[in-house]
Amino acid sequence: MNVSEQDVLHMARLAELAVDPDDLETLTVQLDRIVGFVGQLAGAGDLAARVLHPDGPERTPLRPDVVNPAPLARPPSAFAPEFIDGFFVVPKLGVIEDA
Amino acid sequence: MSVREAAREVGLRLAAASRLNAALAWSEAALLAEADRVDGMPARGALHGMPIAVKDNLVTTGLPTTCGSRMLAGYVSPFVATAVDRLRAAGALLACKTNLDEFAMGSSTEHSAFGRVLHPLDPERVPGGSSGGSAALVAAGVVPAALGSETGGSVRQPASFCGVVGVKPTYGRVSRYGLVAFGSSLDCISVFGRTVADAALVLAEIAGADPRDATTVDRAPFRPQPASATLEGITIGVPKEYFPPDLHPGVQAACDASLGRMKELGARLVDVSLPHAPFAVPAYYIIAPAEAAANLARFDGARYGARARGDGDVRAMYRATRGNGFGPEVRRRILIGTYVLSAGYQDAYYARAQAVRARIAADFTDVFATGVDFLFTPTTPTPAFKAGEKIADPVAMYLADIFVCSANLAGIPAVSIPIGRFEGLPLGGQLMAPHFEEAAMLAAAATLERHLDGTKEVAP
Amino acid sequence: MTWESVIGLEVHVQLGTRSKMFCGCSTSFGDAPNTNVCPVCLGLPGSLPVPNAEAVRLAARAALALECTVHEVSVFARKNYFYPDLPKGYQITQFDRPLSTGGRLAIESADRGAVEISIVRLHLEEDAGKLLHDRVPGHTAVDLNRAGVPLAEIVGAPDLRSPAEARAYLLALRQILVYAGVSECSMEKGSLRVDANLSIRRPGGQALGTRTEIKNLNSFANVERALEVECARQQALVEAGGTVEQVSLTFSAASGQVRAMRSKEESRDYRYFPDPDLPPLVLSVDWIDSVRAELPELPAARRGRFAAAYGLSAYDAGVLTGERVIAEYFEAVTAAGVNPKTAANWIMGEAMTGYNEAGNFAVSPSGLAELAAMVQNGSVSLQAAKKIYAEMAASGKAAAAVAEHLGLLQIRDEEALAGWIDQALAAHPAEVARYRTGETKLLGFLTGQVMKQSHGKADPKGVQPLLMRKLESQ
Ligand SMILES: [Mg+2]
Ligand SMILES: [Zn+2]
Repeated sequence: MNVSEQDVLHMARLAELAVDPDDLETLTVQLDRIVGFVGQLAGAGDLAARVLHPDGPERTPLRPDVVNPAPLARPPSAFAPEFIDGFFVVPKLGVIEDA
Repeated sequence: MSVREAAREVGLRLAAASRLNAALAWSEAALLAEADRVDGMPARGALHGMPIAVKDNLVTTGLPTTCGSRMLAGYVSPFVATAVDRLRAAGALLACKTNLDEFAMGSSTEHSAFGRVLHPLDPERVPGGSSGGSAALVAAGVVPAALGSETGGSVRQPASFCGVVGVKPTYGRVSRYGLVAFGSSLDCISVFGRTVADAALVLAEIAGADPRDATTVDRAPFRPQPASATLEGITIGVPKEYFPPDLHPGVQAACDASLGRMKELGARLVDVSLPHAPFAVPAYYIIAPAEAAANLARFDGARYGARARGDGDVRAMYRATRGNGFGPEVRRRILIGTYVLSAGYQDAYYARAQAVRARIAADFTDVFATGVDFLFTPTTPTPAFKAGEKIADPVAMYLADIFVCSANLAGIPAVSIPIGRFEGLPLGGQLMAPHFEEAAMLAAAATLERHLDGTKEVAP
Repeated sequence: MTWESVIGLEVHVQLGTRSKMFCGCSTSFGDAPNTNVCPVCLGLPGSLPVPNAEAVRLAARAALALECTVHEVSVFARKNYFYPDLPKGYQITQFDRPLSTGGRLAIESADRGAVEISIVRLHLEEDAGKLLHDRVPGHTAVDLNRAGVPLAEIVGAPDLRSPAEARAYLLALRQILVYAGVSECSMEKGSLRVDANLSIRRPGGQALGTRTEIKNLNSFANVERALEVECARQQALVEAGGTVEQVSLTFSAASGQVRAMRSKEESRDYRYFPDPDLPPLVLSVDWIDSVRAELPELPAARRGRFAAAYGLSAYDAGVLTGERVIAEYFEAVTAAGVNPKTAANWIMGEAMTGYNEAGNFAVSPSGLAELAAMVQNGSVSLQAAKKIYAEMAASGKAAAAVAEHLGLLQIRDEEALAGWIDQALAAHPAEVARYRTGETKLLGFLTGQVMKQSHGKADPKGVQPLLMRKLESQ
């Protein structure tokens, strides 16, 4: 057993993902199987140190400090779920972080 | 035929192919508007009047971009993907957006919130995935070419299942700007074509550095080369890890036939080994979900897309939105990705997977350094499987990508072409090449394509 | 029982670029909400970051000013957490391969004298948006204009031993960053923000106590106050037999109290990993050297030089190097021929008042030099010169013209002076007689009378010798 129901709930909290209690058992079995499967890498032998960036250019290009925002074909109000007086609006923060 | 007529015909073909559930957003009005735009262009582009279908994880301003997810149902992007922009600038018609596994996560195009895509030759079967909608439309003759995206073989695998050409370029060759990210270090916009030449033509138009994508590489432009008469002077490596003893007999037979034909065409065949190949799928299923977990964090119901109310604070809204908006496979991958990056597990999983990835890439470098020009392998371990067959077992589904995901991990180009059929189902063969050797690889693929009947039934 | 506090500060400063860290949106402050936004800083699906060269240059500059080592290779990483001000669900920052490490900053401590505070690291990252909690009742309003603005995070070692030292550190840090042209460092505009961590221990102890972190302190005074409050809270807690818990706190300036934000159990697992959208940031040694070469002389060095080269007191040298603009003005004024002490007096007096109000020096160095020369040669009194200065600052006119216009030129012409002296002596025969019998201290009184006769226009330096000659000639 690699993954417990507690682990799944912990990951779900970190990922802000509601998990239906009815799905928890099946999900745990599936994730346990996946983690077991990817855990095969333990058998890949001695490996070189981790690479910084696996692909693409070796160094990042840099852009000049010029104000030229990529245009928006429609304004935020056109795609935001809730937009009031120029602001995106979301439910209030929880008590613990209301600071 | 005028561009307008071509556009109208695409509309008719799309309507006729609707049973495949391969196209998501399209309309005749949009098609005709595209035709008028192309007719109004001052000069004929390289893709003048060519209708091209685009996977629905590439953002477009005219048609919605859903990523096959409830999360983005009805979402219309306020900006266009660089690749789509370049296609249109070259005179192509944006034909439609195509169905896919949700956020490109899957190998069967069953994981779409908008229903599964049917295999054009057998409605019981899957077209492969995640770019199954694009593959099916090219296979069904609706469009000559389509864009898909690969993270772990999501173009070559469905190309193989559907009997069309699928080309994955070198990582960094095509801008990812406007491709909704799944595994950013692996994601590659890729091309389906009915022929190698069609695919190469489209790839040449979308390739090239983009100031909006820091991971594009500034290289000499990619120029398609014609098929040559022979494969004289070319060395093809045959990696033993891709031909296990229990390989599907039809796949084995088709590959044997292709290898025989290449030899007849003058190629030298050599047995090679890519020792870390068996670790490609596990490494992939750590790296891709890890990156995905971060990439999909932005879908939180705050700024765009679906929002579920939840009951209370903003975290309740997040959890409800993401819990409802994402389907089961996406949820699984987010959880796995979170797990492999989390405190205490990152070294054993994510860091180790990156080290394995480096070894997989080094295996390719080593083999190519011995004078091997291209590697030849089967694209998929089996022909198209039945819908529902692997849906309950994620790991079985993941193994459908066993031969394709190494190229993504190593960043090298690869192409799948049809090499025969087994019990009427297409089979694909894959050529893999060193970084930025697309032109030579596609020329070799075109040569093989010309001398091989990719629709011929094989006899194991 | 006495306690020692162990304090470390984490400071975020906004780098003074025109555009954001990873997109071309403006960084301008105070615009209408959600107007400086684009696909990238809104975190729209499909958008990608591309780093701003100027942000990299300014961060390297800051690092070098703080004597950090700037690394040839550093890596952008994703810090994963959900918060409504964070559009992508992760912040692009630097983690295990930061831009720079291992610097130091000298401060003057009231208790310990000159001390050096280690800088652990300085790295690049993007800012989050702004949340408004009272804008829409029962909801949180989000403005993403600030999202993606480039920041340098400067992590100081826990080398500070009192709240006052923390304040001194911040002032020194701000001074150096403003000097280096890296940041405006305005706490009001949020371009300098401070998180402070604090633990207590017995003096001389080596082991560190459990530390608490006070987030988002919004003024220099509040940093000191909050740390005093938290220090007292921890002491009282431990002395009462309790233990300090690792928490994040906020400080309310209104109530003067700290309040817990999150407990340790809730502290997040940020799952840092290299951002696959951004290849490593690679800087050549030559480039790093060129950034170093462009650095202006920094406050400490300039202070020392001012004291030595101009014979200024430590205090005067400190004031005159307090800001780069002041120091440069001082040097320009002395270069225009003004005696350094005189220049110091002018700049720390009249000129500084105007500078503090207007933010610049209204009188050009050559203008001030001209005025100082007029005082020097006696054509105006120091008193008059201050009036002239005010008029020069207001009108932009030259000293001589102003002096002329205001009638403040002093008269040294002997004939004119003799006339006023004669009038004064004639008006005070008794005092003249007493002087002549040896009461020489009356010279001052008589000089004053001459000045009075001249309505202040006589140059007192010219009056005295002439007056003495007249008094003694009989
Ligand atoms: Mg930070
Ligand atoms: Zn922006």
